[in-house]
Amino acid sequence: MSVELEDEKHAYNALFVDFMYLLRDYGIPTNLKDLLELNRGIEQGLAKTLDELFVFSRLVFVRRVEHMDAFERAFAFYFYDIDIPAVEEGDMSLLRTKAFRDWLNKAIENGELPARAKWDMSPEELMKKFWERLREQTKEHNGGNKWIGTKGNSPFGHSGNSEGGVRVGGGAGNGTALKVIGDRRFISYSHSNKLRADNLRQALESMKHLKHAGAHTDLDLKDTIYKTTRNGGEIELVFKRELRDRMNLVLLIDNGGYSMTPYVDITRLLFSKLKDRFENITTYYFHNAIYDKVYVDQRRIRSYSTEKLLLQKADTRVVVVGDATMAPEELLSPFGSISGFDLSDSRASIQWMRLIANRFKYNTWLNPIPRERWGGNYGATTLKAIREVFHMEDLTLGGVKGMVEHLSNKTGKED
Amino acid sequence: MSTDNLEFKGSDQYYLDPELGSIVNIALQMEKPLLLTGEAGTGKTQLAIQVAKALDMDIEILRCKSTIKGEEACYNQDTVLRLNDARFGAGDTGRVVDNFYDYVVWGPIGRAFRADRKRVLLLDEVDKTESDVQDNLLDILEDFEFTIREVNETIKADVKPVIIITSNAKRELSDPFLRRCFCHHIAFPTPDQMTEILKLHYPDTSPELMEAARDIFFDLRDRGFEKPPATSELINWVGALERLGEMPDPKNPPLTGVLLKRASDIQAYRGEEGPKRYL
Repeated sequence: MSVELEDEKHAYNALFVDFMYLLRDYGIPTNLKDLLELNRGIEQGLAKTLDELFVFSRLVFVRRVEHMDAFERAFAFYFYDIDIPAVEEGDMSLLRTKAFRDWLNKAIENGELPARAKWDMSPEELMKKFWERLREQTKEHNGGNKWIGTKGNSPFGHSGNSEGGVRVGGGAGNGTALKVIGDRRFISYSHSNKLRADNLRQALESMKHLKHAGAHTDLDLKDTIYKTTRNGGEIELVFKRELRDRMNLVLLIDNGGYSMTPYVDITRLLFSKLKDRFENITTYYFHNAIYDKVYVDQRRIRSYSTEKLLLQKADTRVVVVGDATMAPEELLSPFGSISGFDLSDSRASIQWMRLIANRFKYNTWLNPIPRERWGGNYGATTLKAIREVFHMEDLTLGGVKGMVEHLSNKTGKED
Repeated sequence: MSTDNLEFKGSDQYYLDPELGSIVNIALQMEKPLLLTGEAGTGKTQLAIQVAKALDMDIEILRCKSTIKGEEACYNQDTVLRLNDARFGAGDTGRVVDNFYDYVVWGPIGRAFRADRKRVLLLDEVDKTESDVQDNLLDILEDFEFTIREVNETIKADVKPVIIITSNAKRELSDPFLRRCFCHHIAFPTPDQMTEILKLHYPDTSPELMEAARDIFFDLRDRGFEKPPATSELINWVGALERLGEMPDPKNPPLTGVLLKRASDIQAYRGEEGPKRYL
């Protein structure tokens, strides 16, 4: 629980070392300096109750809003022994989390759920039960967990030397921290969150990094000489804005199949808001895989030849949106297209994709399937093959950020 | 200098969320800059002004722009005046050309650091500055000092100011910058908090009107407009409704021009189906 640390003045026991490590496990970058700051604050009496500790330690450890939700979950786990899964209510991926499985097994064991619940109840019902249970826990938490009452080795304690320690229970207003955590106000900012209209703004903010208007740092020699001679020899330096070209963007959207429908609008919206960042945004559509033609309209009637697409400037940014999930033949074998047999095109889709990726090296494939499921579902073969060709990100806030980094030529080399 | 006596409890013009209140007080006590993020209309800038008012301190405001270099936020040398004095004499102004400090114009940071009494220093919308400017600000935030390049002298704050920084997250701030601050993201007010805010602004307006207006407001916000209406728009709208003197009809609310600003939003709103909802 505590570790001896020395700072300039004196050695003392630092509290919450393992909490700091837990936060790191939850993906929050923290360090020793934060821990010392936390301890200093506790010494100053800034965290006399658990609620105060919640607010204070969050200030110390969390700097980005996308880490807020992870912090709240870690806090609930460490101080209240409540394991809140990272997913949002209503998200089916809850079923794969450890928290859910543990709860389910325990609930069946102690008779809260019927023994055959796993077979008799629908996943929706089970999920509903899980969240209800969690809500109860966060609403009326009445102690009895690993922290409260462990007088000996815990930094909390009702009695005795609470100097610099944290008092739990008894105080008025106690328990608001857990209630706040239960509200999960920050989940939509979380990095693993899916892109939606209400967190779109945040994604847009990270996309603003793509802007390439330079600062006034280039010396305008001609104007400087002119101004200086007008000044009668007093040197006057004139700076102009660093010139950087605005980028072209080609958006390739897989709009075949119902699985993609919800994502088509959101990506189009995402990029349409960025019109002024790019000189030009053109959108083409395809179904599952890209062959010799892409389409200008959503109904895929007016075609545009892929060869022509390849003639665009090499620094054009290419973003493909698709689930990369299809029958392997569609991607890998010649004449693989399922929509319309065309003898003139004998190249396999993967070859076309390679041509695109080689021509436009700033490319990203945005996949609505979350990253952790890329390995093991129906489309794993094609997904893997495509990942070898394109830089792939999932359609989450973190994914959009990764895409921006990949597209914005961070290495600084010019073409 | 003891800071025990400093405690911020909100004011009669500003609704202070209890959590935010304790955050402000922690920052006050730890003497660390407080960085507030959050969308427009969550009262970030207002908070700094209210802190200054409540604690009876003067406030220095640096309104950041992309052209700002960082140095002029601390000080500026009036070179033209000095040149003029060197050529034509300072006259009876009392300035001495050899004395550098006679030609220094202090910026907000300089004024806050040199003050005898504790001041509030607000760096407003710091994300608008270039990232190298943010790097220059690091020492200022960490050590409460800056260097005057021309004479190589360091100005250090004897009385540390209360630094409050706001950011609309237009651009991301660097990790070193964030590490030197306490960071807090102000979430958009909940309907209940919004009622409190409205009550502060319109103590005499009927609660029914405010509630009806508030519900329409949150309904509009949920509809995915390009620029969703923010708190200040609601406050203006309630004021306008009161002057109009009738209850707003949820199906056809009046004066929506106060709430919706973008042409495309207004068109989408007037069109029967409203804007598309994404998921």
